[in-house]
Amino acid sequence: MNTRYFVRAIGALAAAALCGVTPALAAVKLITLPPRERVEIQLDNPQATLAEEERIVPLAAGVNDVVFAWANAQIAKDSIQFRCLSDPEHIKVLSVSYPPGENALTWQVSATQAGSARVRISYIIGQLDKSFAYRAVAAANEKSLTLWQYVQLHNRSNEEFGVAGMWAGFGERFERPIGIAETRQLLSARFDNVPIRKTYTASLSEFGYLDAGKQQLRIPMHYVLKNDRDHGLGAFPLMFGKARIYQDDGHGTTAFLGEDWAGFTPRDDELKLALGVAKDIVVKRTIDQRRQDRVLGNLFDYDVVVKYAIENFKDEPVTLDIAESMRALRAEIRGDTGRDVEWELVSDATLAEHFDAVKSTADRLLFHVDLPPRGEDDKAALQTHTLHVKIKNEW
Amino acid sequence: MNTRLVGLLAAVGAAALPCWAKNVDLSTIPPRDTVQLTIYNSEDLTLVRETRRVTFKQGINPLQFSWANTLIDPTSVDLRFKSHAGELELLDTTFPHDKPQMLYWAVRSAFDGDAEIEVTYFTSGISWAVDYVCVSDPAEETMAFDGFVRVINNSGEDYAGAQVRMVVGTISLVEKVRELAQRGIVSEVDRYMYEKSEMRARDFDAAARKEVCDELQMGMARGAVAAAPKEIVKEGLSEYFIFTVEGTETVPNGWSKRMRLFAGKAVPFHIQYRYRPQEYGDQLVRMFLLRNDTASDLGSTPLPDGVVRLFRDNCRDGLSFLLAQTIKYVPIGQEIELNLGSDPEVIHERILQRAWRSDFWFRRNGASVYYSPTEGHRIEIKDTVAGWDDHELWIERIRNYRAKPIAVEIRRSFAGDVVFRSDLAPTLYDYRSPQFTAQVAPAKTANLTYETVTHQGRNKQQDHVTLEERQ
Repeated sequence: MNTRYFVRAIGALAAAALCGVTPALAAVKLITLPPRERVEIQLDNPQATLAEEERIVPLAAGVNDVVFAWANAQIAKDSIQFRCLSDPEHIKVLSVSYPPGENALTWQVSATQAGSARVRISYIIGQLDKSFAYRAVAAANEKSLTLWQYVQLHNRSNEEFGVAGMWAGFGERFERPIGIAETRQLLSARFDNVPIRKTYTASLSEFGYLDAGKQQLRIPMHYVLKNDRDHGLGAFPLMFGKARIYQDDGHGTTAFLGEDWAGFTPRDDELKLALGVAKDIVVKRTIDQRRQDRVLGNLFDYDVVVKYAIENFKDEPVTLDIAESMRALRAEIRGDTGRDVEWELVSDATLAEHFDAVKSTADRLLFHVDLPPRGEDDKAALQTHTLHVKIKNEW
Repeated sequence: MNTRLVGLLAAVGAAALPCWAKNVDLSTIPPRDTVQLTIYNSEDLTLVRETRRVTFKQGINPLQFSWANTLIDPTSVDLRFKSHAGELELLDTTFPHDKPQMLYWAVRSAFDGDAEIEVTYFTSGISWAVDYVCVSDPAEETMAFDGFVRVINNSGEDYAGAQVRMVVGTISLVEKVRELAQRGIVSEVDRYMYEKSEMRARDFDAAARKEVCDELQMGMARGAVAAAPKEIVKEGLSEYFIFTVEGTETVPNGWSKRMRLFAGKAVPFHIQYRYRPQEYGDQLVRMFLLRNDTASDLGSTPLPDGVVRLFRDNCRDGLSFLLAQTIKYVPIGQEIELNLGSDPEVIHERILQRAWRSDFWFRRNGASVYYSPTEGHRIEIKDTVAGWDDHELWIERIRNYRAKPIAVEIRRSFAGDVVFRSDLAPTLYDYRSPQFTAQVAPAKTANLTYETVTHQGRNKQQDHVTLEERQ
């Protein structure tokens, strides 16, 4: 046990000396220092860490003063709770006294008979917190991966806890020693054979251009994991943390593909991990038509055709997600008005049949198109898709 | 002890006032017999009532009362006679200009002998605060609800063996006691001395240390016998509530002491998820709702302002910390709302599914003449839009991953002239805030759909929300 803070159960006459109110009392005193019997660190609250420790405190029959003092640790004084686990009917806290200018308090504890009592002291402690990290190793065919989730415990609290139980709010409970200024990474969960979907996304408003002069879009590649039972996950929400992604290189080792911040992912949601920019998929986006049609007075509709010229230079077929923000498109063709965009898909364009009605919203339209691999002559087939949309009632 | 009542009887006897010795004095110091603290938490104010026994001689008796290094309001010091009231008379009170934090009483006595006197005064620097510790059961249906009161003494004075009373309620004061204590009677000298004394506020004199020490030892002497936590008696008084701690307490200057106020054994509560962005921010929050009434094993008193610390039995022989939240004064019968914040097991998505416009009106040549195509009017090329309706179709999607059904309440506020169309049986919380509730079964998703129509420009007639059934 670190001596920075400790519990002292003291005889009655020694109490006043400890309280510092008289130099005349108890020049010779006896203080017992009961060690910690058990420590639990509760990390399930995202804002605060609760430490619970149990000690066996010798109590005399009558009223005992139990002093709890600490130094150099950020313990929220008002959060400290004292509970007697053994014989709570006959051992009661009468009051708590807080001396001035000290990180200490004294419980006045009444016991009907002398003996040892197991007590639990709980408090909120600062600078003892957690974060999450992920490691993923994708199979060589990039159809699945193994995902490891780690809890990283950061102890900057200036206190050493010895072997302590820890719980992050889900998953299994750990029992490990926690040293001062120590960061400990604990394997929280492992998921094997998690199916992944590899996506390529063309979205000007989200990812911008790779080459603005040529209007070539930046196409990020993502691994998409669905946090549900059908995809080998779904036991609990995935917490925010850094994810490092590797791939089986087929030689018994792995190659590092990249890293990304994994956002909080509730159950049934998708976790998208960006791995980099796919330069083998070339998408050039142009606005092929912008026609302003007067409706009435100064009220206009805009007939807009967006063209995507797509080439897949990969030797495998891929699916390209094309996303278009209606607000950004309106700003592009006429400037923003601040009003919602009223739009209507015109069915004569090729993308209309690839529309994802479930994932699209009033602002973000999503389409999925399948791209064949490059040909045997190493040439990529040029696919041209158009989005024909009518932006209505603008002025 | 910093406040002193000094009887100058031996020195001056029955001599006529104000011929007190300047440099050579003999004085007696009658100790406090009892002291009572009545602490108000709405203001930095404590009424101190102390009794002492003083020996009087027939004739005029000078009494000196001083309060060095304390925060006592000199204008509030009052002397009353609890015995021999008909034979003792307070003639006058003198605040000497050269002795700050001191006064002299001239008492005329018709007899020789002891009398019990009562001195009352206001002091600042003593306060009390309540906090609550709640532990929910694992099923989150009931919670142990314990209240604690903490008395904090920074008054500069040690109060040993004091009866402590705490007043819940808001009193009226026209001047702050601390300012009056600083100002004193002779302001400039007092201010100087006060500032000087502030620096020494923690330097107790030996007598004060001894008194506190004696009290502590007396407390320890009882140590051979187990004691029960002190009862705190609660009673109403006019607009206030008074908590009185059983027996006496010693709270030395600079110390604070925390005692149990009450224990609610198993307070039932229910859980509601609320989306009220104007109140809780843009998130669906989890609320624990309980009531301060007898049916909930509470309700014996109003609950003063204080911090609630909520834990839950985590079924692993320990607690989980859920929240620390300050609650305002809760009258008997009122609901207590504890906001646990967002819940990772209940997901709320707000989706604008579709937006469109309708019911256009046009203005011609800037005149206040309006034309509507839906009314069959002809619209000319130079006419400009002067009014329209904005339609938005919203889905509040709630996914419940908890093992129990949940109750959800959605309340949104809208500016302007808005029609709220829904088949969710909405009601109006106020003129611009529709609200509705729903139950979401475990492992289910609810799509709560509504449409808003905002009348804009010329179409806007009012600034309120009206409810309509959605077709």
